[in-house]
Amino acid sequence: TTEQQPLTSPEEALRLWLHYSSLTHPLSLILAEQLRLILSPTQATRLRGDFRTGKRLNIKRIIPYIVSNYKRDKIWMRRSIPSKRNYQIMLAVDDSKSMTEGGAHALAFETLALLCKSLSMLEVGEVCVVSFGDEEHVRVAHGFGAPFTNESGAKIYQNFSFQQSGTNVRRLIEESIHLFRDARAKGPTTTADLWQLQLIISDGIYEDHDLIRRLVRQTSEEHIMIVFVIVDSNGAKGNSIMDLTQAVFEAVDEEESDGVGGSSGREMQLKMKRYLDGFPFPYYVVVRNVADLPGVLATALKGWFREVVDVQ
Amino acid sequence: MAETGGPQTQVRLQLTTRDRKLALPESLGPILVPSSLRRYALSTLVNNLLGTEKPIPLEFLINGSYLRTSVDDYLTAYGFSAETTLAVEYVRALVPPTHVASF
Ligand SMILES: [Mg+2]
Repeated sequence: TTEQQPLTSPEEALRLWLHYSSLTHPLSLILAEQLRLILSPTQATRLRGDFRTGKRLNIKRIIPYIVSNYKRDKIWMRRSIPSKRNYQIMLAVDDSKSMTEGGAHALAFETLALLCKSLSMLEVGEVCVVSFGDEEHVRVAHGFGAPFTNESGAKIYQNFSFQQSGTNVRRLIEESIHLFRDARAKGPTTTADLWQLQLIISDGIYEDHDLIRRLVRQTSEEHIMIVFVIVDSNGAKGNSIMDLTQAVFEAVDEEESDGVGGSSGREMQLKMKRYLDGFPFPYYVVVRNVADLPGVLATALKGWFREVVDVQ
Repeated sequence: MAETGGPQTQVRLQLTTRDRKLALPESLGPILVPSSLRRYALSTLVNNLLGTEKPIPLEFLINGSYLRTSVDDYLTAYGFSAETTLAVEYVRALVPPTHVASF
């Protein structure tokens, strides 16, 4: 990829990083601890489950197995959660202009500092940070495999200005799939034991939901988990994304229509929808205050692990 | 701005009026609309929100000037992006415009 110019000067980026990382320092300790419980190997090596093959017999399943005439044969347990710290986590932060409305950008910077610090404390694996808006490509502010040092935070913050005039989430997901594929190929392990997670930090306003929904399905086929963190800074002022309505003009059959005429001769009918009802990411959390993040993130990740373990 | 075949750009509108008889609930926040909308569709939208029995023809003002194009064209002409919530004032249309329905 070609070298991209910084969006913010090194001096200003350093000032921002120091400000936001010290602001969120106590919280980063709390989040690190909560994530440790979920992601760390000590708790994770337990054997679990009902499988047809595996490492150890599940004693509770033996009698039903015999009683069922050897039909209920899922009697084995397997290691269901990775036993090593094989995570690749991408933080993708919305750099579009809408983030400056109501201070979503400040909340995003707090969230980014909080996550960078917690994850580097945890040493769960590789962390990547990207910035996205309407540039031709997403910006890789910190690549997978790069160590997170004292200078990393300030360097990451150089890739944000919150002045981009578009919010291209579709491109973000498309390019993320490639970044994750590359990272998997170069990653510390070649086994399927590698867990890839993307956290998108955004005000949640973008279009192209149907196409994105298809891409999200593709990411889950590639075992990439996405949690969409909506920073809802307007929530306190009564303009929460949870109440945002969307006006949609839909084409309807002419006989049943009482709407207004469309230029193509087809009848268009106005429908009011709740914006979040069409949200294409199955895992999303709404955060109004950075202090809420450790709790909601832990809940989302626990839910994910439960689901992944159940489908295996 | 509008890509052919691409997604429909959307923009958040904060609708206000000085006409008390046409006022929407104060608690109503911004509404996300396709930026391709023109006066007629916006008028339909506000009438729908007001629950009027007989549609009241409305005109729309952005930064003090009447909307005569699509919202999208307005944004392009004035160098705005769809990233900003647009404050839109609506007034009763004085002379009901003879209108070819258009979007
Ligand atoms: Mg945006």
